[in-house]
Amino acid sequence: MGILLFITVLLIAACGLIYELIAGTLASYLLGDSVLQFSTIIGCYLFAMGIGSALSRYIDRGLAYRFVWIELLLGVIGGFSSALLFLAFAYTQGFQLLMYALVVVIGVLVGLEIPLLMRLVRDRYHFRDVVAHVLTFDYLGALGASLLFPILLVPYLGLVRSAMLFGVINVAVALWSTFLFAHQIAAARTLRVVGLVVLCGLGIGLAEAKRITAAAEDNIYADEIILSRDTRYQHIVLTRFKDDIRLFLSSHLQFSSRDEYRYHEALIHPGLSAIPAPRHVLVLGGGDGLAVREILKYPQIESVTLVDLDPEMTRLFSTNPMLTALNQKSFLSPKVHIINADAFPWVDSNTDSFDFIVIDFPDPTNYSLGKLYTTTFYKAVARHLSTQGLMVVQSTSPMFARDSYWCIAETLKQSGLQTYPYHLYVPSFGEWGFVIAGHRDFQLPNSLPAGLRFVSVAGLPAMFQFPPDMAPMPMPPNRLNDQVLVRAYDQDWKDISH
Amino acid sequence: MSVTRRQFLQSASAALIGLSIKGDRTIAGSFVNDSFQLGHQIRDRAKFPEHRQVVKKGVVIVGGGIAGLSAAWRLHKKGYIDFTLLEMNDQPGGNSRWGENEITAYPWAAHYVPVPGPKAIYVRELFEDLGVLKDGRWEERYLCFSPQERLFLFGRWQDGIEPAIGLSAADREQFRKLEDQIHAFRATGKFTVPMESGLSESTADLDRISFADWLREQGMNSRVLNWYLNYCCRDDYGATTSNTSAWAGIQYFASREPEEKGPLTWPEGNGWIVRRLLERVGSFVQPNCMVHKISRTGKTVSVFSGDTEYQAEFVIFAAPTFLAPYLIEGAAPLHDFEYSPWLTANLTLDHVPASYGTDPTWDSVFMDSPTLGYVDATHQSLRTHIDRTVWTFYWALADGSPAENRRLLLSKDWNYWKEAIFHDLERVHSDIRQCVSRIDVMRLGHAMARPKVGAIFSPERRTLIKARGRLLFANSDLSGFSIFEEAQYRGITAADQVLRTLSGAA
Repeated sequence: MGILLFITVLLIAACGLIYELIAGTLASYLLGDSVLQFSTIIGCYLFAMGIGSALSRYIDRGLAYRFVWIELLLGVIGGFSSALLFLAFAYTQGFQLLMYALVVVIGVLVGLEIPLLMRLVRDRYHFRDVVAHVLTFDYLGALGASLLFPILLVPYLGLVRSAMLFGVINVAVALWSTFLFAHQIAAARTLRVVGLVVLCGLGIGLAEAKRITAAAEDNIYADEIILSRDTRYQHIVLTRFKDDIRLFLSSHLQFSSRDEYRYHEALIHPGLSAIPAPRHVLVLGGGDGLAVREILKYPQIESVTLVDLDPEMTRLFSTNPMLTALNQKSFLSPKVHIINADAFPWVDSNTDSFDFIVIDFPDPTNYSLGKLYTTTFYKAVARHLSTQGLMVVQSTSPMFARDSYWCIAETLKQSGLQTYPYHLYVPSFGEWGFVIAGHRDFQLPNSLPAGLRFVSVAGLPAMFQFPPDMAPMPMPPNRLNDQVLVRAYDQDWKDISH
Repeated sequence: MSVTRRQFLQSASAALIGLSIKGDRTIAGSFVNDSFQLGHQIRDRAKFPEHRQVVKKGVVIVGGGIAGLSAAWRLHKKGYIDFTLLEMNDQPGGNSRWGENEITAYPWAAHYVPVPGPKAIYVRELFEDLGVLKDGRWEERYLCFSPQERLFLFGRWQDGIEPAIGLSAADREQFRKLEDQIHAFRATGKFTVPMESGLSESTADLDRISFADWLREQGMNSRVLNWYLNYCCRDDYGATTSNTSAWAGIQYFASREPEEKGPLTWPEGNGWIVRRLLERVGSFVQPNCMVHKISRTGKTVSVFSGDTEYQAEFVIFAAPTFLAPYLIEGAAPLHDFEYSPWLTANLTLDHVPASYGTDPTWDSVFMDSPTLGYVDATHQSLRTHIDRTVWTFYWALADGSPAENRRLLLSKDWNYWKEAIFHDLERVHSDIRQCVSRIDVMRLGHAMARPKVGAIFSPERRTLIKARGRLLFANSDLSGFSIFEEAQYRGITAADQVLRTLSGAA
């Protein structure tokens, strides 16, 4: 019985530490600033353990019975903690509240474990042996857990399944404790039934978690998925690796937080700084609020109208703390008006006029998206340009999709606009291209907003130079009844992957 | 109502595992736009009310399809307004009628117009008036969006309806040969739209032989080629190649030389054109006015509808010509007019089937199906995200005799046709029943004139065309086949004839 007892100590110690590590890791993934997260979580956890130890003195009857219950509770709460926290992050505003509440509850329960256990076995050993053995195995368990966690659990099981696995261990401890302390428990059968039910719950959880994580996206997104949501319109996935947050819409990378400033500065400032007195700006697409962040660097701008199809997307980037940190709460500015609508019909029916129009749609990967890159669409957009107005269009890569890029430029030209193509390098995308277009001449701006990290007045002319490997290609325009762009784009990327 | 053990177990287990019962959805729907009852009153010489009032009109147009509406548009455009148009149904438009639900407008029959060539001057004039043709350029939003058509064959989809995959060298050779011959026919300038402007006695031989026989004579026996040509004839004429004059078969291909990737189409099909025409001449149109008698009386023609006698200087008879012997007193019976029965259905889809297969396409056709496939009514939407849609399903009952097919069409109930439609769609879309919430079916006994052997050069037809009295004929069937451009041409030339006579008289 001795060795079994001390293995019990080792296991419960490991479980306790694992839950704490999971909470810390999750908070670091989701909220960033790992030093802060780990410090506060360890602090709370140890403090809660202290409360648990203090409370243990009030338990004087049915020690074994209560010990088994504590194990069962830990199995449930700890086992589902990680899944619960993921869900809370994705669907509620109360992630942090729930996380600290869970840490405290688990801490209290873990704090109760060792004192109860020590009292349970005090009659069998000398006091000094009890203390020595229990604490030794407690620390051994902690060592095991802290080594297992980074080396095996996170890489091979992931956070959700690791928590569930250790939930199972807690329940297993509960079950064999009913045998270990059989003579001290009256209602052992009830406890065993409860234990089996909890075990089943965790088993289902493990199987489900495996099914979810085994989904194909595990292969696409190399990093930890911190949010994955199917909306009516698309599949939104956020991943995080260290300080790099990436957004994927229906499996296409939209930005990497490490270098998105390059993309968004280059998208906005060359065009917007060239407009003498911009007051009203329209953004089509751009539901991440990053382009709006750049636009709000111009104090003279009075209104920014953003039309994005997916309300989930704009809601996420208005409320999620990690994402609003990225877009500097641009959607919360009183100047910004968000309209969730399909862009083409909106543009077609609206009559407002704008000084600067940003068109930042996903690449033309299919015929539906391809409609947003046609002469008909650009003509409809151009009707919204004020006399000083310019528009800028996200136009794929002039390097990897050279035909597509110049097809978009030609489409703008055939829509009766003057075009000014330019490009830049974004590490996570490669060479990327935009086109400024308007009814008037465009001249490079002489000044830019302060504090830009990438675009500079001195660097602008080079962006409008295309080296021979990206030089213009003769392409027909993309039209609603003949979407050459979608076929060209498909071919361009096929050529790359061969 | 008692619950069977099986039902109980189904619902209990469903409640337990939180799944809905997987079974056939209830699918709503009915027959719509039935008009044969009205027609049969005329056929059966039913008793109609005595006339109580007399209305004098310069021109009465009988029939509010494209021919009648085009005549009205022409008269109105030339500044002549002393006319009225009598339409039997409550909705004008004839074969270009349309419907609308909470998702989209959709066509009930004709759903496109090929981009008109330079000789189709009246169609071009109309489209300039409607803003479809501006400064010599076709408005892009009315041209069919990419991708236009697809064909399901050999277990997969291909772009376009002309078979291009799985062809043998012999098949390819025959396709090439036919293309060369069509090219030569086109170069003669004798196959045109409208057909009247190119029609020449020198091609009359082609009207004395069926298209199927002509193909055999040319040694074109490729199964795939023959399927394709048969499909084309069923689609445009409602007839198989063996029931189509070779002249008409050749006309289908040789008359068109597209200057733009088309066709022109709208969510409600050619109903869009009807809507625009009604915006212009709708106040002259009287729906629910079935004409039951027309008689020539000295200097006027009397048109009886309900309790009204319209005394008109001119009548433009734009209803299907086969009705003329039943309506016009003293008219000789007709022998050369044969019509194909059709069935169309509009299917409301709550979601697109998982088996859809490709990017959303306008027109989908299954090889070797007796039907003509389906057209997506939301294809011309500017939206990028579409989940619910309406499919218009087309079925020309081309095999067998038209009279027998008409009897079949009228004798079977809605459920029969619903199942027949599903049966056809399930060849490719196994999950279609899970997607459809409604099927409305329209039955057209005399949907379109059939250009059978001899129809094009029929003396009977030529006589009606040349009529120069107070009663003029204008239905598209005077051309031998029912297409938009012919209907519009006949309507306009009849209106012009009236205006010419009027100005001559003045």
